[in-house]
Formats: sequence, structure tokens, C-alpha cells
Amino acid sequence: MSESSAMDNSIKLFAGNSHPELAKQVARRLGIALSQVKVCKLPNQETSVTLEESVRDEDVFILQSGCGEINDHLMELLILINACKTASARRVTAVVPCFPYARQDKKDKSRAPITAKLVANMLIVAGADHVITMDLHASQIQGFFDIPVDNLYAEPAAIRWIRSNLDVANCVIVSPDAGGAKRATSIADKLDVEFALIHKERKKANEVSKMVLVGNVSGKIAVLVDDMADTCGTLIMAADTLLESGARKVYALVTHGIFSGNAVEKLAKSRLEAVVASNTIPHSEKQLECFPDATEDNPHPESKIRTIDVSSVLAEAIRRTHNGESVSFLFANDVS
Amino acid sequence: MRALAILSGRSHPLLAESIADRLGVSVGEVRLMKFANRETSVEIKQDVRGKDVFIIQSGGVGNVNDHLIDMLIIIHACKIASARRIVAVIPFFPYSRQADIPYSTASPVVSAITAPMCGSMVGGRAIPPGEMAPTSRRVREQWQARPGTLVANMLTAAGVDHIITMDLHDAQFQGFFDIPVDNLLAQPLMLRYIRQCIPDYENAVIVSPDSGGAKRAIVIAERLGLDFGLVHKERRAPGSPVNDTTFVGDVNGRPAIIIDDIVDTGTTLLQAATVLRRQGATRVVALVTHAVLAGDTAALIGSSTHLDELIVSTSVPLPKEKIEASRNKIRQFDVAYIFAEAIRRIHNGESVSYLFEEHWR
Repeated sequence: MSESSAMDNSIKLFAGNSHPELAKQVARRLGIALSQVKVCKLPNQETSVTLEESVRDEDVFILQSGCGEINDHLMELLILINACKTASARRVTAVVPCFPYARQDKKDKSRAPITAKLVANMLIVAGADHVITMDLHASQIQGFFDIPVDNLYAEPAAIRWIRSNLDVANCVIVSPDAGGAKRATSIADKLDVEFALIHKERKKANEVSKMVLVGNVSGKIAVLVDDMADTCGTLIMAADTLLESGARKVYALVTHGIFSGNAVEKLAKSRLEAVVASNTIPHSEKQLECFPDATEDNPHPESKIRTIDVSSVLAEAIRRTHNGESVSFLFANDVS
Repeated sequence: MRALAILSGRSHPLLAESIADRLGVSVGEVRLMKFANRETSVEIKQDVRGKDVFIIQSGGVGNVNDHLIDMLIIIHACKIASARRIVAVIPFFPYSRQADIPYSTASPVVSAITAPMCGSMVGGRAIPPGEMAPTSRRVREQWQARPGTLVANMLTAAGVDHIITMDLHDAQFQGFFDIPVDNLLAQPLMLRYIRQCIPDYENAVIVSPDSGGAKRAIVIAERLGLDFGLVHKERRAPGSPVNDTTFVGDVNGRPAIIIDDIVDTGTTLLQAATVLRRQGATRVVALVTHAVLAGDTAALIGSSTHLDELIVSTSVPLPKEKIEASRNKIRQFDVAYIFAEAIRRIHNGESVSYLFEEHWR
């Protein structure tokens, strides 16, 4: 390595406690070691962050996903950003594969908070110069920031999964609600297959009442496409609706597999073939608990939760951001 | 009172009620929940348009981060719901002391992530053979994050207009904010407690358990016309736990009154009590503003043969279990009315500095 390149600033990748597995994968793909940091809770329950190496004039990336104990992880991220900033990092980029509070993005009731906007403000005051995230619940959240936000897509990876695991010609892509129609049609167009939509009447948050299918799924493999699977109530009900309408099998393809509450249990019992989620949120433990009952034909069934690895997309976005190359290449191209 | 709303987070509902009671209003209804995915959900049931909103939330209890985020969301919700002015009432300010926290390296680590240190690549650069990776020898001090400024900026960014707090660990912390911060003092209440509830106080020595708190203790000693002593902790290596203590002053045959702002793990306090006893103190009483009492600190205080009594304020909730664990050694003095009066004065645009005086009531 020449003398001058050693003078350049380099990538420093830090990670909080939300998703160490993904951080390691991203670091490995970048060919670097994760930077040393101690992130812990003190006895008084305050979060403590100690950077164990210099970040002066470095290009710092901090990977933390919005999952698990969201508030704790958010505070870790904010303190990490602030610590790097005050330690004279040249640039601090928050890499937030699953953006916390993304669904609280509008004032839908009197005095309701727009918490996604609050989180954006918090990231900015902490000192973030740049944000990299993936499949924001609403891409308009980018407008909450006055700093660059790269909203990556899991779509290329999802398309690859469909191509390599399902009989594409017999697939029909289904959006489980009107809000996700755009996301689903985009995939349907790229695969050149049919598209259907489920319209749901919602009475309360996290509760679905009635579903109406628009489109034909008879004799097809239905692939539900959504940005997240939380309590999975919607997906399971949509799967039932699709099977009743003549679908042969139903898969669900989501970017963020939150699987909160008793979602794992419900999924195991459901008629969904599988939920395929990216690893923006750790779900390897949940995967081990989500098996359908064994049958005579299938004595050792596969877990109903399957994983798409997106660490390559995140790593490539970090590399491109660091080198000042275009990131938009990643929106349409599969990089793994 | 018109156009005033008192809201409360989940950290200290008792104090909020007590404050609202003294103001003759009721605490506005806020529904705080967690969604299944662990995100906080806030619903403010009370109308706040055009009102002065006071949000009461303390640190040092339960999950500090949850309470902090809860408060930020409530502030933000009130802001976008057209509140006239938003005042955060934070009796014990979280993250105000981390810079010099004594247990940063000795404390048990709840969770930590460490990457493998060795390897030929460090920070994207190849390390030439023969040269050690920078991380493997200590080329620099660790960089300990100091989130005080961050928390201050977060509150301001969320939309808070004014802050009321009590006995900030460092008075300089007020300077981290670009908005008014009223730092109330527990000192007048401590003085009154000493005069009324500590027999033979005229003979006592006021003691600061560390050099950082000397000023706080000297003020009380001067007001009472008492002698002053100082326990000094020697730290042999940076970051090492407290390993030697000395006492400056004369406490032989007299009662000692320790004054401090925070009792967290209680190490400092119990160590000071031990030193004072060794120096011949007849009785050791401690007056501390904020009772964080992390983990089993209350039990440690209960089993201490050196500390006779611990008197704390109501700035942080003190559950019955902790009082029992301390074998009833912990007592409280109420700070609700000083907060209620500060709220009343701020709401009416009256001076707050009057509250810093001893006999204001």
C-alpha cells in the first residue's frame, strides 16, 4: 500500500448491541475488522459507550437496527454517533437497516406524535452526517431529514430468491394492502408475472377485520410482498383469503421480519408455506422455533421463517458511500 | 389556573400527582404503551392547544432510556399539537453525571460487543509485517462518551422550551442548553431537615464524601455555622476503582453529616462512612438529593454498621422494598412543593430565584 493511501481516511465500522451478527457479516464483506467499542448498561440503567480506538478524521459508519429493545438500541446509536462526532470523526454515517418508529410517520389522530420525525431530528442533533437505511415504511420519511438518506431496497435480493426457489411462471405477486401496491407491482413487473391486491378494512391498529381479494390467484403460487412482518396477523389472514380463492401455495416475502408477540407460534400453525425475511433484524432464534407439524410426506419440515442475506447490499452501500461512488446502482442490481 | 397542563411519564407518577395536587389541578391523561414490537406509543388525551404544558419525568429509575424516549415523544406530540410552551420537569436529570462516573471500568458489563482485535487489517488499512496493530497496544486513552450534551440537544430538538431540574451534578450542565434551565436546590430543604430532625446537630461536622461535592457541603456548613470535613478518594490509575481514602478535618467524638447529590451504587457513601467511623465519628448520617440506589445498594446500606441513616429527597421514587431492604435506614423529605411552586411561578412569570433562599416558605 502506497504512502499516500495510508494518509487517506478509512472506513471505521462500529456496531451497537442490536444486531452483532449482521455487523460481523458486513465487516467481513468489507474486508475490515469491526472497530472496538464497549457499549453497555451501567447499574443505574444508563447506557455507557467507550470507543476503544481513535476515529479522528476517519469515515465512521455505525450499524444499529431498530429491533429488540428499540429505545435502548436507539439511545446506543445516538450516543455512539455523538461520541464519534465529538471524537473528531470526519463523517458519521448511521446505518440503520430497519428504521425505528418508521410506522409512526403521520399525525393520524389528535395530538399523535410523528415519532419518525422525532427520531430523524435526534439522529441529526446527535451528529449524523448521512443515513443509510433499507425499505423505509414510507419513503417520504427521507424528507424528515436535512441530511442525505440512502433508502436501499431489498427488492433485488427478493427477486433473486423468487427466481431461485419458486416456479416463477406460476407465481402471482400479491400486495396484502393498498399501501404496498407499488412495492408489489414493481416486483411483478420485473418478474413479468400477474399481480393481485388484498383490500382490508382495519378497525384498530394491529387488528384486521375483513379482506377482499382483487385479482386472480386460482391454481397459482401466491407471493405476498410487504415491507414488514410484525404480529403477522395480516399476512396469515391474507394467506387464508388467498387459499380460499384457489391459490395453491402462499409465501410471504418481507424486508423486516419483526415477528413480535406470539407471531412465531401463529406462523407455525398458519397455512403460509413460509415467510421469507431479510436479515435487517435478527431472527435466527425465532427461526428455530417456527416449524410446521411434521407429516408422513415431510417428516423433517423446514422452518417457516427463511432468510435473505442483505449484508452485501449494506456493505456495498458503505463502500460506495466511502469512495464517493453512486449508490443508485444498488437500487436495481443484485450485488451478492 | 387557566391554560396549564400537567402531564406525567411513567417514571414518577406519585410526584406528578403530588405536584398537581399542590397546584390544584389534576394530572392530564397520557396513555403510554409499548407496541408488540417494543416501540413506545403515546396518546395524549388532554387538550394542550395554547397551554403551558409541564411534563414530569425523572431519571434514575427503571429503564432510563425508555423514560427518556417517552418524554421526548410526549414533548414532540405536545409541540405539534400547538402547545404554547413546553416545560420539561426533570427532578433527577439522566445522563448528567456520566463523565466522571466512578464505576466505568469496574462495573459488571450487562452487555458488550467486542470485535476480534487481531488480524492483518485494521480500519481498512493493511498493517505492515512487524508493526503491531494500533489496537493491540494502548496508543491512546479510551474515548468515553459523554451524553450530557446529547441529551440536552435532544430535549431542545424535540421542542422543549424550558427545563426545571434539581441539584444538577455539575452546575455547568446548565450551559449545555440554549434554553432556560432552572436548577432548583434541595439545599434549603436539607438545612431545614438538619435543624428540625437531627438532634445535636450543633455539634456535628458537615462532610463531603468527595472533592467534587466540597462546594455543596461547604455552603451548608456555613449556613449552619458548623465545621467542615472532606473525604478524599485517591485514584491510583485512571479509571481504576476507588482504592484509597483519606479524611481531612476533625470528626473525633462528634456526629458527622454527609452531604451529596447522588447515591447510586453507594460505594462512595459507604466508604466515606467507614472512614468517618475510623476517625472517631459517633454517628454518621447522610443527606443526599437523588436516591438512584441501583441494584442491591439499599441492602448494602441496611447492612452497613457505619452509616446510621440516609435521608433522600423524593426526586426519584423510592419503592417500599428498598426502604425495607435498608432496614428502614432510608427516610425521605418531600420536594413536590418546591417543584409545584416553581411551576406556578414560571407559569405566572414570577421570579424563581426566591426559591433558592432558605426560609422561603
